[in-house]
Amino acid sequence: MNRSRLALLGLSACLLAPGFSSRVLAADAVFLRALNLNGPALEIDGRKWEGSNAAKLVVSGKVFENQAVALKPTTDPARARMIRSSVWGSKVDVSVGGLPSAECQIVVYVWEDNHTEQFDLLVNDKPVVEKLHSGAGGSWKRLGPWRATPVDGTVKVSARTPSHGAVNLSGIEIWTGEGTIPGVTSAAFVTELTADHAAFFESKVRPVLVEHCYECHSSTAKKLKGGLMLDSRAGIIKGGDNGQVILPGQPESSMLIQSVRHADPDLAMPPKKKIPDLAIADLEAWVRMGAPDPRTENTVAAAASKSAIDWNKGRQWWSFRSLAKPSSPVVKQTRWPVSDLDRFVLARLEKEGLKPAADAEKRVLIRRATFDLTGLPPTPAEIDAFLADKSSKAFTKVVDRLLASPHYGERWGRHWLDVVRYADTAGDNSDFPIPQMRRYRDWVIHAFNRDLPYDQFIREQLAGDLLPSDNADDAKERLVATGYIANARRFGSRVDDYPQHLTIEDTIDNLGRAFLGLTVSCARCHDHKFDPIPTADYYALYGFFQSTRYPWPGIELEQKQRDLVPLVEPARRTEANSAIKAHDTEKRRLEKETQKLKDSLKDKTGDEKKSVEAKIADAEKAVKEFTAKPLPFELAYAVAEAGKAVNAAIQIKGDPAKPGDVVGRRFLTILGGQELAPDDQTSGRLHLANRLSDPANPLTARVMANRIWLHHFGKGLVPTPNDFGKQGKTPTHPELLDWLANRFIESGWSIKDLHRTIMLSRTYQLAGVRSEEATTRDPNNELLSSFPRRRLDAESLRDAMLVLGGNMDTTPAGAHPFPPQSEWKFTQHNPFKAVYDSKRRSVYLMTQRIQRHPYLAIFDGADPSASTPVRTTSTTPLQALFLLNDPFVHGQSREFANRIVASAKDEPGRIQFAYRSALGRAAERTEIEQCRSFLRNARVQLAESRTALDQLEAEAWQSMVRALLRLNEFVYVD
Amino acid sequence: MNTRLPHFSRREVIRSLVGSSLLLPGLVSNLLAEDVAPDPLSPKQPHFPAKAKRVIFIFSNGGVSHMDTFDHKPKLFAADGKTMGIGGGLSNQQRRLLKPGWEFKPGGKCGTMVSDLFPHLRDCMDDVCLIKSMKSDDNEHYQATLGIHTGSFFFSRPSIGSWISYGLGTVNQNLPSFVAISAGSPYAGTQIFNNDFLPAYHQGVRVVPGKEPIANLDRRTKQSSVQELELGLAGALNQRHLQARGQDSELAARIRTFETAFYMQTEAREVFDLGKESDDTLALYGMKRGQTEGFGWPCLVARRLVERGVRFVELVDGSSSHNWDQHGDMAEHAKHAKNLDQPVAGLLKDLKKRGMLEDTLVVWTTEFGRTPGVDGDKGRGHHSACYSSWLAGAGVKAGTSYGSTDDIGAAVAENRVHVHDFHATILHLLGMDHEKLTFRHGGRDYRLTDVHGNVVQALLA
Repeated sequence: MNRSRLALLGLSACLLAPGFSSRVLAADAVFLRALNLNGPALEIDGRKWEGSNAAKLVVSGKVFENQAVALKPTTDPARARMIRSSVWGSKVDVSVGGLPSAECQIVVYVWEDNHTEQFDLLVNDKPVVEKLHSGAGGSWKRLGPWRATPVDGTVKVSARTPSHGAVNLSGIEIWTGEGTIPGVTSAAFVTELTADHAAFFESKVRPVLVEHCYECHSSTAKKLKGGLMLDSRAGIIKGGDNGQVILPGQPESSMLIQSVRHADPDLAMPPKKKIPDLAIADLEAWVRMGAPDPRTENTVAAAASKSAIDWNKGRQWWSFRSLAKPSSPVVKQTRWPVSDLDRFVLARLEKEGLKPAADAEKRVLIRRATFDLTGLPPTPAEIDAFLADKSSKAFTKVVDRLLASPHYGERWGRHWLDVVRYADTAGDNSDFPIPQMRRYRDWVIHAFNRDLPYDQFIREQLAGDLLPSDNADDAKERLVATGYIANARRFGSRVDDYPQHLTIEDTIDNLGRAFLGLTVSCARCHDHKFDPIPTADYYALYGFFQSTRYPWPGIELEQKQRDLVPLVEPARRTEANSAIKAHDTEKRRLEKETQKLKDSLKDKTGDEKKSVEAKIADAEKAVKEFTAKPLPFELAYAVAEAGKAVNAAIQIKGDPAKPGDVVGRRFLTILGGQELAPDDQTSGRLHLANRLSDPANPLTARVMANRIWLHHFGKGLVPTPNDFGKQGKTPTHPELLDWLANRFIESGWSIKDLHRTIMLSRTYQLAGVRSEEATTRDPNNELLSSFPRRRLDAESLRDAMLVLGGNMDTTPAGAHPFPPQSEWKFTQHNPFKAVYDSKRRSVYLMTQRIQRHPYLAIFDGADPSASTPVRTTSTTPLQALFLLNDPFVHGQSREFANRIVASAKDEPGRIQFAYRSALGRAAERTEIEQCRSFLRNARVQLAESRTALDQLEAEAWQSMVRALLRLNEFVYVD
Repeated sequence: MNTRLPHFSRREVIRSLVGSSLLLPGLVSNLLAEDVAPDPLSPKQPHFPAKAKRVIFIFSNGGVSHMDTFDHKPKLFAADGKTMGIGGGLSNQQRRLLKPGWEFKPGGKCGTMVSDLFPHLRDCMDDVCLIKSMKSDDNEHYQATLGIHTGSFFFSRPSIGSWISYGLGTVNQNLPSFVAISAGSPYAGTQIFNNDFLPAYHQGVRVVPGKEPIANLDRRTKQSSVQELELGLAGALNQRHLQARGQDSELAARIRTFETAFYMQTEAREVFDLGKESDDTLALYGMKRGQTEGFGWPCLVARRLVERGVRFVELVDGSSSHNWDQHGDMAEHAKHAKNLDQPVAGLLKDLKKRGMLEDTLVVWTTEFGRTPGVDGDKGRGHHSACYSSWLAGAGVKAGTSYGSTDDIGAAVAENRVHVHDFHATILHLLGMDHEKLTFRHGGRDYRLTDVHGNVVQALLA
């Protein structure tokens, strides 16, 4: 045993029992006050402690006491009593007043009653301890001292945990003077190493670290665990993902020591085998010395500079490269193409030795175009007009007519609502309804109808509230557009510890997929495994939304909406917000008054009682009347700027309780990483929106052009429309995609222009029938030698049946018939659950997050909780059962049959009307015969089962209609 | 498949339609032609051979108290009324301990202790592998219910039944592969038997005990003959359409679903018709003839469904508004236990008698346990730190119990079985590696067990 070791052991005897010595040395600090934060005055180490009722002591936090917990290490009864009664919370503030103005030293007692928590301590708002672990149940620490100068005679000590943690503060000691406080060593790492320090480290510490720790905790580790590097001084000081591992001078409070002792099974290190006791003692001694460390290489900085992401390689990925300007390809059949689009397709076909199919018949084309652009079947009159129009512009006219139809926005708006996982409820445990959400739905439909340029479409959804507007109507529309962010999913039932990080994750996840075709949220817990998106980028985006106020839809423990935005022009917003506040205050006042009256009722009798009861009735009526009185303006389910704009801290492994470094708000590094201007005081959403809609951003135009293509051909040029990263599929026609993206930008981001470009191409107008050769050589029709046949999606199928029935409700969709907010008592036990019957187009059906709409669930409707880039097309007997037996199908068949019977006097004429309406073509002679023979058989069967004569004819036709509605020809578009 | 009832194949049904000469000539041969499209639900080989071929998954809503049912805590009886801080996620709560409300007795030859709440199930303990060290991640009903069904506590993901349907397909194409019998709406709603991003073939078809157990199962046309005529016309026109389009497999598959649906109207109806069950069988489940309320009907129908090859049957005990969530008075557990006890015991006995327990896995679980400390006056709070569940039947180590909690049932003491471990083990019993059963969605390979889960070898026979 060398000399330094002996000396250290001597010191440790004193340290293991803090405050063991009451001897005051000349150099010692002078005891001023000590405060037991929850409990009575008492005496510890011979010093008088004041109780929680002490003068000028202000404590914010909940009180807690549990004297049954065994403390580790054990201590004297008075101190134990003080420790085990404490104040707790995720934010605890203690201020001690009446102090002299001179600098003093502060010592703080903290303890843990059950599970370890991580916390920061602040003295006079200055962080003194960061990310310290409270240890296993029973652990306690006497931390400090820290120097502080009282401000107006007051010193403030605060403790913070990262969101919904619970730190226990037990006591505070205040000392004056420069000297040392008995039993407390200076909490600093040794900076000036002596020869003894170096020798001790080299002989006792380094060998232990190398042998037992480096395998997982060093720059040479195969896989670094817990973000902790013990192979440099910088690593020792920084600690790991779980915070500081060494508190210099305080082995009992150092996680490293707790870990090697195997005190807490969750922290036991090395996990499999405990290191020898002697080695543990050496490490303890080392920590007590202030962890003197002679190593100079900074492995932490080295590791940080050697980032795991290879940016150069990342930039080479096709979708991150700038848009190419491909020249028009040379083709052999020069007369076939009508546009460059066709040349790109034909060039590929010629290269593979395939021929394009014949052109589609006109009747096929108009059915295809009408379903494509409006989601509805063409009427017989529309078909006739097109067939009769022999001009070369006949199809152009059809496309223009369809693009001008209000039904266009209902169809294409729905495609966007799929992408943004639109729902009319919040998705929390009780699935609260959002009556105002439909305004955003209508905004989307309207945006498509008026061909709002796509870059503006992006800006309004992300930052409509921050955009200048020429007039009040525009301003209101733009506010509603931010419903995009507001519609992010809500979680759970709790209010105090609401998991906002999940709502923000849902926002970022959707934003990444919808606008960029990137799975950004994969980087929430770790750097993206495949794409160049580090975790820091995720939290750089997170800051934009942490600085944004989301509306509160109501959840189980707070069942009323709040933080909605008055739907008024910007100039009136402040005034309107004050009106909301005044309204709430008045309501609370009335309620309080009622309660007061009720309370006073207890000791009243006779007439007096009656009089009070009458007053109560009046007061209750007043509350009811006041609540029923609407505000003089509508509220939008939209976002606003949060009180304070902030940068977000990285959440280690996605855990908000483990904050790491703070990251400045900026755009994704791989796309430029443009930072928010330092003088920008806003949330920065407009900055983000401008970067997303920047024509120089290679992804935005590609992703949207691909979506438009997808909904015309059933499959994107990139078959994974929400993933343009390495896990996605690469484009089948990369040059065509870039050509379309360029055109899209050049047209001023006009979506309608893109429709025309695609639909007026010859490729779009190909017949659906495939040659045998094409089927063999290109089974998935990737090369587009023919037009891919497609099934009607859920909405189109239902809407087509409404059109055929002639009973579709085309009046503007109003509010859903939700119960009034005053009656909202939804809980996870009795969640909101409703299906509202309607004859409106399916895009207007009320869509819930937790309960799928029964019809949409059967027919592969969009997922209301996650982005749906492409509908799946399943083929199930449940779908068949729906078409066999559902009352809706039978009802629509009845309506359609009535129209058929009214359409003509003769049977063949009626059958023709049925065919032209449902299938968009005339019936052939054999088909008319089949139908007539069916009708005869049906009449016989119906008569046999005693169907009333006056019903018989109608029922026979209804029966025929039901057969037609089950046809593949009805539900597929060629 | 282990079946005792006569079965008709699809072909036989089509032929029977020919018999009634309602199908148009020329159609029959087409219908009888070999199917063109591969069936997404056709049976698939597991990753490795396994005994369990199908699952009956019984879920008790609301949080069944472990210390009052399957986790015997003698020291909690002794500590009644003592106040202490309790761990297990209930940070900083002081609670008065509440002793279990029922006595425990050993059951079967194995002697596994079960409380008086479950006298019938106690008799079945020789067939049961009890897990006393279950652990969930959330103290809310919704999150924990979603978790035990999907492995995800906040985001909706495919249900375990959907995963198993996806992994193994099913043997009876005339019935769904995954059926969920749920009288009321459970916590987290239909999400718990939803396919989510898995193809819709794998969604749990909800059965509601009563008049029309499956939506649209009942023929709406008054006369079967009229419906057959309609199918005949549609069939003939569909065939023309198909032939003109070069035998597209998707079109052919859709034509076939109408035949299946047609057959389901009778086949599925027959499953729900308990008329042919003997009095003895009904008595085993504690049922009266014609009774559809109570838990007997779901249990007996579950047997009939698995008998006919349904891969995964979930039985939901209780709903989000009427269940085991006894904050106010634990005595109410008795009512829920009575509803569950004899029917579930009857199901185990019936399956065993028919030799079906050898290749059927029966699972019983809940979303979390309850606190050893009192809630309200005489109730208990939510407790995800530990609870009990059990497995019975194919491949499980019967007559044993696994894991333990501390003296008062506040925390797992040894052999913790997290929800993810539970799922990994169930998949393993069916011959599937939980790390290999994946589905690519949104740029990622998803698993039922996310990135967690270990197969608990000690539960395997």
